[in-house]
Amino acid sequence: MLAYRAEADALDTRILEAIRSGNLVAEAFDRLACAIFAHQFRWNAPYAAYARNRGVRTDALPQTAADIPAVPAAAFKEAVLSTTDPARADIWFETSGTTLGTSGRHYLESSTLYEAALLAGFDRALLADGARLRYLLLVPDARERPHSSLGFMMDRIATLRGDGREGRYVQGEELDIDTFLRDADAAAAEHVPVCIAATAFALVALVDALAARGRRVALPGGSRIMETGGFKGRARVVERSKLYAAVEDGLGVPTSSIVAEYGMTELSSQYYDSHACRSAAARIKVWPPWLRPIVVDPQGRPVARGIVGALRHIDCANRSSVVAIETEDLGVLTDDGLVLVGRERGAELRGCSLDAEDLAARS
Amino acid sequence: MPKTLLRDLSASQIVGAIADAAERWSNADFPPRVRASAAIEARLGYATPVVEYALDRLFFSLRRELLEAAIVDELGSLEALDGPTQRLRRPAAFARGVDRVMIVSSDTTIGVALVPALYALCAKSNVIVKDRSDELVRAFFETLIEERPEFAAAAQARAWTGGADADESRLLGDANAVVVFGSDETIARIRMLLRPDARFVPFGHRISIGYVSPDLLAQTSDDDVCEGIARDFLLYDGEGCLSLHALFVSGVPAQAYAFADRLARASERIAVEFPASRIDATRAAAFSSYRNLSAFRAAGGRGTVFSVAEGTATIAFDPPRDQPPPLLPRVLPVYPVHGIDDVATFVREHRLPVQALGLADTGVPAALALAQTIGAVRITRLGEMQAPPLGGHHGGAPRIADFVRWIDRE
Repeated sequence: MLAYRAEADALDTRILEAIRSGNLVAEAFDRLACAIFAHQFRWNAPYAAYARNRGVRTDALPQTAADIPAVPAAAFKEAVLSTTDPARADIWFETSGTTLGTSGRHYLESSTLYEAALLAGFDRALLADGARLRYLLLVPDARERPHSSLGFMMDRIATLRGDGREGRYVQGEELDIDTFLRDADAAAAEHVPVCIAATAFALVALVDALAARGRRVALPGGSRIMETGGFKGRARVVERSKLYAAVEDGLGVPTSSIVAEYGMTELSSQYYDSHACRSAAARIKVWPPWLRPIVVDPQGRPVARGIVGALRHIDCANRSSVVAIETEDLGVLTDDGLVLVGRERGAELRGCSLDAEDLAARS
Repeated sequence: MPKTLLRDLSASQIVGAIADAAERWSNADFPPRVRASAAIEARLGYATPVVEYALDRLFFSLRRELLEAAIVDELGSLEALDGPTQRLRRPAAFARGVDRVMIVSSDTTIGVALVPALYALCAKSNVIVKDRSDELVRAFFETLIEERPEFAAAAQARAWTGGADADESRLLGDANAVVVFGSDETIARIRMLLRPDARFVPFGHRISIGYVSPDLLAQTSDDDVCEGIARDFLLYDGEGCLSLHALFVSGVPAQAYAFADRLARASERIAVEFPASRIDATRAAAFSSYRNLSAFRAAGGRGTVFSVAEGTATIAFDPPRDQPPPLLPRVLPVYPVHGIDDVATFVREHRLPVQALGLADTGVPAALALAQTIGAVRITRLGEMQAPPLGGHHGGAPRIADFVRWIDRE
């Protein structure tokens, strides 16, 4: 146990330093990711068993991040993926159950690491101007759902970066639009710029509610919006550009101040729209130095820039769980960053077989 | 009432023309078939052997005697399509084809819409097919017209573009009978566009399953059985409603595992004949994710994953029962079970709409009982799941009876 503690603490120190400095060149990233994997190979039994089946041996550990076996995100629903006893975890988050109908848990031994990663990422993406904003949260309320990673993240940001008058407007599955509008009007009257953090679906509900009431809010200059999540599992899907235009119209926040975040409960770090792309039609995601996306083909091999493939994430802030996570999300790497690719549209269906989505829709 | 030229032909002449056209299409070098084959490959991404296999199965089955047998079985005689025919202890009756039949083929594999279209033509109906972009149906109709110009006004095919189609509502609203292949959403949408008295024949998305009995498991070391099952799940990448989507193996667990192992090796061989097609990135990602998740489970001692043909197909042995089958291209879950009741329970718990049930021996009473329990409409032999006979019912529906209106003469 002492060996574990010493190893974990040493790694946490290295990771925190990378997060604080924001400086991790490619070779250093590979070294750190591989060191984290080696640690997890020793202490995370289910991950180690999987890695061994993929050919990893103690005397033949990966030498680059791309060689680290990635665990499918759904594996968090199958096993406890933690380097330590889950009872000792500072925090845990519940993964979504949208795919298999069941949920899993992402245990994190140290909330310090998680907080450092989320704050540094948010600071880079949304608070580069050092603004102290009022946070209006249209995301799960951390007090009500303590195991929502999004709720936790925005709660910490609002508490640590806000003006002390944050508001939370999601209760259960309901949005408290009246209170939101009251607080938004107050911020406008006080000339206090706000940051609205919202899921895409909540934003749709908000703009629908504004339209239904014939209301507009002119939020102060410097206000911004962090939008996250898509429409998976939702009956109504709204094109993002149309949603942003409606938000700009209803809340007075220019589209260029709406920043989309891409994250997962199974990760500790997040991607955000690059600063350069925010006035452009196509949004490009960038990532902090301790996180790296790899686009892979169906055999798990990295593909060249410009080729669409599945996303694998190497997240060094996942020290106590799994450093390499594989997803079904699609993306393509460009010189400027990562472009998320939605489900291929227009592809002609080929067969009369039921698929998983059909089946889910029936149940 | 508009008189169509097709009605001037006897049903026998129509059937003969269809059989003659099909015989020409049975030749792999027949130029329209060559063109259609290339278009199908381009559309679906299937390898040439897969497309050729499908076209062979289709056109070699369109024989006069098979078409006639299905018609006689359902209508009593072929002549019933030409006018009133005498029937024992019943009034004479005329199986008069309805005027307009529309067939919407939004997501079928290869040529599935052609068969109902041909039966509708046998009924002398005017037929419009919303065809796939490869235009196989249109090309076959052109051959039919070469055989008998009377088909020209009756047999039409239009490319399916998906989405809104200005003519679609009008055509559907005029149709006396409509056949739809598609998702629940497509079927529901089209149903709303029909006249109230229109016959509606929907073929929704379904799956097919197979059952390996303890007898078969104990007896067989025959590779043919495994190769047949491999064909059932690999052909068309498992994307047809008659493809094998889940296999249940009943018997001693060690034997069930050995069977899965043998099936994996047979699949290696069959994958050479029917290689993986080009699939879109979304499905490819889902496929690799499932394979890797199965590998993760296997590493934890839960099940086994067989990666087949350089990772282009996956057999997952003993995957979780509390989840539905993955329903992914070239992925076959193999469930060890204690008996046929376990199969029924699994289907019921996951509310699986089952089309075909594949077994080694279709005649055993338990097969019929299981088919009734799970709602299957076809009991077939393993290895032949994707080769439905022309004379059989289609999706539990008759072949031609929905396209005629009986006129009794007392």
